[in-house]
Order: sequence, then C-alpha cells, then structure tokens
Amino acid sequence: MLKILLVSPDKGSLSEMASAWAESGDVDLMWAKSGKMALGIASDIAIDLVVTDERLGDMTGLEFAGKLLAVNPMINCASVNHLPPEAFHEASEGLGLLAQLPVHPGKEHAEGLLQRLKYIKNLTAGVKGDIT
Amino acid sequence: MQAGRIAVPSIEAGGINGQRSGHFGHCDVFTLVDVEGGEVKQVTTIPNQSHVQGGCMVPVNLLADHQVDALIVGGIGMRPLMGFKQAGIDVYYDVARQEIKPVVEDLIAGKLPLITENQVCGGGSGDCTGH
Repeated sequence: MLKILLVSPDKGSLSEMASAWAESGDVDLMWAKSGKMALGIASDIAIDLVVTDERLGDMTGLEFAGKLLAVNPMINCASVNHLPPEAFHEASEGLGLLAQLPVHPGKEHAEGLLQRLKYIKNLTAGVKGDIT
Repeated sequence: MQAGRIAVPSIEAGGINGQRSGHFGHCDVFTLVDVEGGEVKQVTTIPNQSHVQGGCMVPVNLLADHQVDALIVGGIGMRPLMGFKQAGIDVYYDVARQEIKPVVEDLIAGKLPLITENQVCGGGSGDCTGH
C-alpha cells in the first residue's frame, strides 16, 4: 500500500486526484492543511509521495519541497504549479520533483503520477549494476 | 583518505584514465576506486541506471549498495546531495578538471573540498555546469 500525503488548505483543489487514488485501492491517503503540518507528518511517517498545492497558506509548494529535503530527501514530491514547463524547471531545479501538476489535476494525472512513482520505486529498490 | 571507495561519474567506459561526466545523474558509468593505505588498489566500473524525472535517489541507492564512501561531482542537485548525506556518502566538488585521475589523487591527498550547499544546481546558484 502506497502512502500519499496531499497538502492543500483547500481540499477541493486536489479532490479529483484523491478520488481516483481512493478508487484504485492500493493507496493510503492522508491530508494536511499547511506546509508545516505536512512536514510534521513527513518526519513521523514513511510517506511514498507528497502532492502539494501551489500555495499552502504558510509557504508555497516549491518552498515546501525544499524544506522536505531536510526532513527526508527519500520522499518523492509533486507540485501543482501554473508556470510554463521551462520556467517551472528553472524554479524547481535540484529539488528532484516527480512532476509538475496543473491547477485542479484530474484522474489522468493521478494515474500517470502513480505509474511514475511505482516505476521509480522499482528502480530505486531493484537494480544493482554489475561491477566490471 | 587512507581507505575507502571513491565513485566518480564518468562518460563512456570510465576507468582511472577516463573522463568525468559533468552531472552525476546523467553519467554513463560510475568509476569506483578502492583505496587502501592511501593508495589506489583497484578500479572498477558500474553502469548508471536510466535517469528519469524525479529519479534522483536511484544513483544514491546504487552507490550506497556498492559501499561507496565518497563521491566526486562537478554538479549535483540539492535532493540527491541530501540523499548522499543521509546515506553517509561524502560528496566532494571539482568543476574544473575533466580527467578522473587527478581529482582522485587530490581526494586521496586530502586536497579536494567537500561540496557546499551554495554550489548545488538550481536556485540560481550559477555554479552548475552539468546542464
């Protein structure tokens, strides 16, 4: 069961993703209303993925992603952001985000993100290259 | 360094006489240099895994699995740097030289600096040459 933490002061903005994951049956969903609350949860529980809204009330999603690295860099993070992809890449470079999500992400984004998360978890857990 | 295993992100076949890769996540192979008594005892290579968006922790786990103690980079993002710190792998920095051998020799001699957080890629740090 994958543990996903959704962070937004407005549950409605991530509700379509949440519904899609709830239907999938292999995701344990948690919610946090602020960045500070989410950082507290991430420091206590082994989370597989954090999805943040663009603004979290007490910080932006990108600021949160930076702070999350100090808590646990192994946790994957995706963030809603309205910036064009190139500008987002520049703004988020080095944070190692799993994906940029559009405002009000839907079912297809939930499915795509889950697929990418599983792929990366397999890569991280699995292959041990041969020494030559 | 008196003893330990050094990893160097490398292009093509790597090896002690090979060339470094500018950014660890996009390298072809990692050259692994085993040091004993302050001398190079063995040089091997391991292939890098495929690099995908968000997959920064894949090489961290790969090098941790291979008991690497130190990594020499010319560019790295904050997330993998924090991952290496968590894994107990020291990250050293040299952006100037392309050859593997002189930077390994400098690390063994204690002349190579650890990377600082203002030298990581992104956030307008400006020092990254790997992109």
